[in-house]
Amino acid sequence: MTTSNDQAVVFVIDDDPHIREALDSLIRSIRLNVQTFASTDEFLNFKRPDAPGCIVLDVRLPGLNGLDFHCHLKKLNFDLPVIFITGHGDVPMSVRAIKAGAIEFLTKPFRHQDLVDAIFAGIERDQCRRRAIAAVSELQRRFILLTGRERQIMQKVVDGGPNKKIAAELKLSEFTVKVHRSHVMQKMKAKSVVDLVRMADKLQAGGKTA
Amino acid sequence: MAQNLRATGRTLLLPITNAALAAGIFIADTITDLEIAFPAFYTAVVLLSVGFCKKNSIVFVGAGCIALTLLSDLLTVNTGVSEAGVINTAISLLAITSTTFLAIKIQSAKVTALEARAQLAHVARVTTLGELAASIAHEVNQPLAAAVINGNASLEWLAARPPNYQEARRAIARLVNDAHRASHIIAQVRALTKGSNPQKGPLDINETILATVTLVDGEIQRSQVSLQTQLSRDVPIIEGDRIQLQQVILNLILNAIEAMNLIATGPRNLVVSSQKNDLNDVLISVQDSGAGIAPESRDRLFNAFYTTKPGGMGMGLAISRSIVENHSGRIWAVRNSPRGSVFQFTLPIDRGLRA
Repeated sequence: MTTSNDQAVVFVIDDDPHIREALDSLIRSIRLNVQTFASTDEFLNFKRPDAPGCIVLDVRLPGLNGLDFHCHLKKLNFDLPVIFITGHGDVPMSVRAIKAGAIEFLTKPFRHQDLVDAIFAGIERDQCRRRAIAAVSELQRRFILLTGRERQIMQKVVDGGPNKKIAAELKLSEFTVKVHRSHVMQKMKAKSVVDLVRMADKLQAGGKTA
Repeated sequence: MAQNLRATGRTLLLPITNAALAAGIFIADTITDLEIAFPAFYTAVVLLSVGFCKKNSIVFVGAGCIALTLLSDLLTVNTGVSEAGVINTAISLLAITSTTFLAIKIQSAKVTALEARAQLAHVARVTTLGELAASIAHEVNQPLAAAVINGNASLEWLAARPPNYQEARRAIARLVNDAHRASHIIAQVRALTKGSNPQKGPLDINETILATVTLVDGEIQRSQVSLQTQLSRDVPIIEGDRIQLQQVILNLILNAIEAMNLIATGPRNLVVSSQKNDLNDVLISVQDSGAGIAPESRDRLFNAFYTTKPGGMGMGLAISRSIVENHSGRIWAVRNSPRGSVFQFTLPIDRGLRA
């Protein structure tokens, strides 16, 4: 695994103290950080570190059940991957969990390799998500440096207009358009027009989700 | 073998009394004047018939009463027809008709109530067992799951380079603790089913059987089963928990009815009997003419979670066996001839029951 696993944290939410203690030991034994919580409220009140991670969630919890809590988390834009563990899983329950985007649905007692695999899969998914978010925010940082005119020209380049056409539309000389265009390429650190188009797509997608 | 048909005798008593009453009214009505509204007493006959008649029979009784009224009017010719007499007869007929109507209403209400009660008994039986099993399963599963996780954690700690003995030891200590918790829960469940608190007392097993039979009256009528009780008068008072033994009998009867519901044709005979056997035991048997027991399931019938019924829990006979054994008795099943099965259990008369 990558070096960033050193800071990855597994959050365990289970109301049974014995299960919590056992999972705490098991997860530490595979060299991952772990935080355990007896309730969903305890978890929500916890100040999470800025690190990749995943949640190991018991289905049968006092108050809100695990499946409903998972939906609640998604409404709060909490994107941590979830692994369900349950004492009495049935098929409709597991279908519901997987449809809602859970990594795994494990019935206690589970094979420990299944849990370990699910935890690493969850952390990897979270790392991908975090990398994508980081890439978008880097692009946003670069985009902010562009002047108004440069942003206008970037949009037209991305839309596929040749320099002559852009110059005519903006009533500029073709030479001025070329200068602005090379500034855009430099500031956005784009290697080609195709690269710039991809960046524009990411910015647009990132702008929508933000 | 001295056996009497006590229940059958009881059910015959009411119709005979009722017929006698109707006859008495008829004679009194015929020998008195028309002005005396004797036929109004027929309403009592109609009302009494609710106790033992079905809907159609009540209509028949009402019609019979009207016919008797008119017949005695024809026979009472000596005083001639007076206006008051005709009015009295009309009022009596009206009273009989409306009472019959009310009696039919009462009868349907009674049938509905019986059905509801039988259904309730069935639902309560299934849900309490289901919930009990689910909650026991959860309670035992939790420590087992924790034990498995702790075992795996200790293996991981030992496999680490260098091995972390302290963490491994802690995980193993927790594992031992988990195993103890699981066995403690099982001990509690056993104490619960062993009936550390059965309310044993003097008990008339025949009376217990009759009370149980009443409970499933609706189920028996609905399934068109003919029930016979053969209760021996020799059976002495024994000591036992009435509720628990009632549960066993109820269970065997409901099973018998279900077995007979499986077959489309042929008689549906249910015989519940009690007798004293040579071994100084009371022997209770529930005999049906149902589908019978497949040879391959005979050995496992009384095992927990063994069932041949779709949607069955496999708990009924297991619980019955634990109750009977708790009363120092035995329970078994044999083939009935020409078909069906006989479930029998014994309860000792004067040994091993005194706590």
